[in-house]
Amino acid sequence: MATATNIGTELDLIAHLLRRTGFGSTPGELEEAGELGYEGTLDQLFNPGDADPLPVDLIRRYHADHNDLRIPPSSGSFWMYRLVTTKTPFEEKIALFWHRVFATGQTKVIQGKVMISQIDMFRKYGLGSFRELLIQLSKDPAMILWLDNQDNHKDNINENYGREILELFAMGVGNYTEDDVKECARAFTGWTIANMPYMSTKMRNNTLRPYGYIAWQFEYDESDHDDGEKTFLGETGNFTGEDVIDIICKNPATPQFIARHLYHHFVADELPVPQWPFEGPKDPEAIQLMVDAYFANDYSIGAMLRAMFESDIFKSETKRFARIKSPAEVVVGTLRLAGDFDWPTDDVYKATAACNYMGQQLLGPTSVEGWMGGDDWISTGSMVQRINFASDTIGDPDKRGVKAIVSRIADRHPSGNVEPEALVEDCLGLVGRLRVEDGTLNGLLAFVREQGDVDPSTEDGAGKITSLLQLIVSTREYQLA
Amino acid sequence: MTTEIRKQRQLKYIDTNGFGAAQGGRGYHFPVDFAVRKDGLIFVLSRSGQGSLAGTGISVTDIDHNWHGEFSGYGTGDGEMQWGTAIAIDSSDRLFLADEKMQRITIFDSENNYVSHWGTAGSGPNEFDGPSGLAFDANGNLLVVDHKNHRIQRYTVDGEYIDSFGSEGSAKGQFNYPWGITTASDGRIYVADWRNDRIQRFEEDGVFIDAHGESGDGDGQFNRPSSVAVDDDGFIYVADWQNQRVQVFDKDWNFQTIVLGEAGLSPWAADYINANKDEKIAREVFNPYPKLDVDEPYEVSARTEPYFWVPVAVTTYGDDRLLVLETARHRFQIFEIV
Repeated sequence: MATATNIGTELDLIAHLLRRTGFGSTPGELEEAGELGYEGTLDQLFNPGDADPLPVDLIRRYHADHNDLRIPPSSGSFWMYRLVTTKTPFEEKIALFWHRVFATGQTKVIQGKVMISQIDMFRKYGLGSFRELLIQLSKDPAMILWLDNQDNHKDNINENYGREILELFAMGVGNYTEDDVKECARAFTGWTIANMPYMSTKMRNNTLRPYGYIAWQFEYDESDHDDGEKTFLGETGNFTGEDVIDIICKNPATPQFIARHLYHHFVADELPVPQWPFEGPKDPEAIQLMVDAYFANDYSIGAMLRAMFESDIFKSETKRFARIKSPAEVVVGTLRLAGDFDWPTDDVYKATAACNYMGQQLLGPTSVEGWMGGDDWISTGSMVQRINFASDTIGDPDKRGVKAIVSRIADRHPSGNVEPEALVEDCLGLVGRLRVEDGTLNGLLAFVREQGDVDPSTEDGAGKITSLLQLIVSTREYQLA
Repeated sequence: MTTEIRKQRQLKYIDTNGFGAAQGGRGYHFPVDFAVRKDGLIFVLSRSGQGSLAGTGISVTDIDHNWHGEFSGYGTGDGEMQWGTAIAIDSSDRLFLADEKMQRITIFDSENNYVSHWGTAGSGPNEFDGPSGLAFDANGNLLVVDHKNHRIQRYTVDGEYIDSFGSEGSAKGQFNYPWGITTASDGRIYVADWRNDRIQRFEEDGVFIDAHGESGDGDGQFNRPSSVAVDDDGFIYVADWQNQRVQVFDKDWNFQTIVLGEAGLSPWAADYINANKDEKIAREVFNPYPKLDVDEPYEVSARTEPYFWVPVAVTTYGDDRLLVLETARHRFQIFEIV
């Protein structure tokens, strides 16, 4: 693969980090991170300041439907605002990660308000102790109704949540028995929501009548909890839900499973999850690194990721551009690059819909297994959607982010005319130090030469640079993170 | 009716009017403003939202829950709206509608027929950038809160520009995205200075009198006040939008009381519940005030059906009623002023 930018620099490594922990980088973000250096950037990622997104009061004043977040266009676009405007994108990347692993869907729970609350919970607990996260997940009203734990009674268990916490959320198939599933379900009896009969009826009827939805509240019903003796993963006792989570968290299979998910999301595309019981991880050394960090740091997810990001495995050339961007990464990354959503706009609905068309409905994963990722993201139709969205979004020279790119190029070339090679290199660098293959590079150069002289200080030059940016975000390589 | 000047104000809940109607019909969908006509009819502006724009329009009801139909709707044509923000009714029973997206004021006659509209986008005199609150001054001229221009503009009822006051800022007489506006019986103008978390009071010619409020959730503090009403005795009622409550003050800004709402089922809501047996049975064991593990007002209101959820507008009705409109619950609660 040829290089259009100086791949070997620390800045390239930082750009790689920002692609994985965020949605790529604007020129300003990369410049600031460059001043901090790789380690300094890592410190900041794990100790972020204020997210300072577009204020919620402004959003709710202009989008009346964002007040109750009831339907998918409202709740999805409410999150989209935060994704695009946050100053701490790593928090959102973590929220997206857990949203994918603990896949909960508005298609069943109906009201988006509780889905947004679940995302808030992921943001708050997503980098902390896995034990605490599992407790919060088990108490999460959206999860409770998604997996029917409101129907899990001490005299009549419903195994749904007890099964999925083992199979899909924490351990993976092959690490527990059917008896463990039943015992796990017994431990979570009584974990329900307040006013369950009315709330579940309204969910089933899917109507805002009479006064809109009432957001759900976790409730522990002690009278419905089975406090009898249970045998779970080889241990026996009068286990509660918290006890079961303790046993899950100390089991070696758990960090193995979570580490593989983390690798898939943050390092390189793995096999689809259903194949994991039959195929080992692509990079066992990376998995072990994170497993060790998990046990050495009280089950900390943040410690697992920090160990990964500090490793040579993550930094290696083979991990650069080794993941296919999810639709959310394409949409959000391009909008952030363009500098959109400084103010509430109906365009937020279009962006959220574009994500759907590419195959990822925010708050609406296709199944309890979440999105598979990797090659599964790409089809002829989704590829067209990706290219059209990115090209349209970046194709407005009046947008703040596009103007900033043009302005930087003008500053670098005060004499006026920019040579094609320099212009392509500048643009690839300014969209997050993208690297492209020889064929793509030659195509970009040919395009610039065809356009004639480019003086970035002129309107004509800005237009030509914008066209080049459109072409760059339409490349195959732009789909990679 | 009493002629005695009451020294203190409390609010006693008495009734709820409303019903979620995403596709139009009897009820409201994300209502943002309302106005009372002198014959007692109550006009409610539903802004609606993405995904169910059929709920956009102006509904007509009365204090006894009678439904008098609806008019206008989503669109860009004459008499339609996109992002409706406010309504006000003049002495001739003509209804004025502000639309902050199309930057225009639309007039309907007393039979709810479209009459005309005016408005041009911009920041110069007689131009709008987000018309939101509407009220009539003591002379019958229309006051328009031109919120992104951080000012109040004044027009004749025929749309002829008269004057304006205010500018962007937090000093006396300046605004930060103002929203609701009302005129008291003494002619003074009250403006909900939304992002400055205060209410400002002006003489009828726009000369600043005073301001009250600061950011916070204590008594007398505000979190984005969106609307203000004043009764004939000068008591002031504020929709404390992001604190999910209504606060009451006397004319000297002495704090009187706070209400959080305590809605019950309106007759329209009761009709629905009674017609849906599964919901009726489930509701029989429904506790409207569950024990919560959150304390942020928005979250508390989201989980507590009787409480105000996004109380966006307040208005007096007669001399002893206060109505509180809630965007996220598609209803208004009725309080007796005692």
